[in-house]
Amino acid sequence: MEPMRQEADEELLIRLRRGDEAAFLALYRKRQGALYRFALQMSGSAGTAEDITQEVFLTLLRGECGFNPERGTLSGYLFGIARKLALRQMERGRVDVALDSDAEELTLPELAVNDDPLADLTHREGIEALRRAVTALPRRYREVVVLCDLEELDYADAAAALGCPIGTVRSRLHRARALLLEKLNKERPKQAMGALKPARCEI
Amino acid sequence: MNCAEFWNQMPELASGANPEHNHAAECPACAALLERQRRLASGLRTMAGDMRSVGAPPRLESNLLEAFRSQLAPAAPRPMRARWTPVFSWAAAVAAVIAMGVAVAPRRHSVVPVTHHSASSVVELASLTDDGADDDGFILLPNAERVGPNEDVHVVQMELTRSAMLVVGLDVSPDRVSEPVQAEVMLGPDGLARAVKFLDDDGTY
Repeated sequence: MEPMRQEADEELLIRLRRGDEAAFLALYRKRQGALYRFALQMSGSAGTAEDITQEVFLTLLRGECGFNPERGTLSGYLFGIARKLALRQMERGRVDVALDSDAEELTLPELAVNDDPLADLTHREGIEALRRAVTALPRRYREVVVLCDLEELDYADAAAALGCPIGTVRSRLHRARALLLEKLNKERPKQAMGALKPARCEI
Repeated sequence: MNCAEFWNQMPELASGANPEHNHAAECPACAALLERQRRLASGLRTMAGDMRSVGAPPRLESNLLEAFRSQLAPAAPRPMRARWTPVFSWAAAVAAVIAMGVAVAPRRHSVVPVTHHSASSVVELASLTDDGADDDGFILLPNAERVGPNEDVHVVQMELTRSAMLVVGLDVSPDRVSEPVQAEVMLGPDGLARAVKFLDDDGTY
């Protein structure tokens, strides 16, 4: 938890509701990037991500947006709205859950290249493989990886966003990472497979 | 600590937390698993860092700011309504009416949410007759776009002065132009007023 961050967000929300434009802008600029990226990762579509981000902030302009600070942070609440909107899009069939076909719409910056053979996941190819693996995860695992690993939400905020207990977030994250390793294993060249082979614990 | 206990801490260990985990020093298999998890976490951090500059396009901020100004930036703060759309719609509608040169008394407006329609299920202004009124009594506003068959529209009720009726070509008795009249305003998905229906108990203007 980041108590200061939560207070700041809530203070901005209070000022926003009083008509303070600067507070609205501050909150938007503070949160739009993460919300947009989350929506982008979930939908695979820049247009859908933009629509979702817009709707999240329009929700804040509504009289009763439903945010209750006793249930969690504003950040978690906003991600929760974004998630519901993304799921709604998927249910409508506008966005396919399998995202590889939409990969060309993801406008990602150039990735750093690192020649360290022991850290191949920092190589361009390794990160590209990782990105593909993340987007190929089943939705429930992808969302927890995006929230916790990519957007660095803590478990409590992620739980609020996903509407599940913290323990569920933790277990899904554990499982998601195992799935990622499994997917990366399948993509790796044969000569590198040894490094990621399952190992049996002897103790 | 055994392997199971060690694995229970794996999400936190892989994320960089560093509780006591001497088990890894005693168990090469767990040490290897931890190393893989940490490499994965490192890769995810790199991926996150590469994406950090990705954000919504600038036009979205402009659009939202416009919505904010229409909805939440009146001269005097208003208590939040149970539904946001009518408040936003009220502002947009009034702006449209003002743009038409109609005198409106803002403090007398009472906005009552009526409904949120799908254009396919309600009045389709495309079917308006030449005189501008449809079967439900909505009159297309001058220079307003007709509502398409698949557009969502909002209808809000508000109080206007009868002078607003002049704008849409209705006759108003000169001695009543400053009197209030209840009206329903239909707004398109862009928040702009498209049509108006005046509600009058006695049927006279």
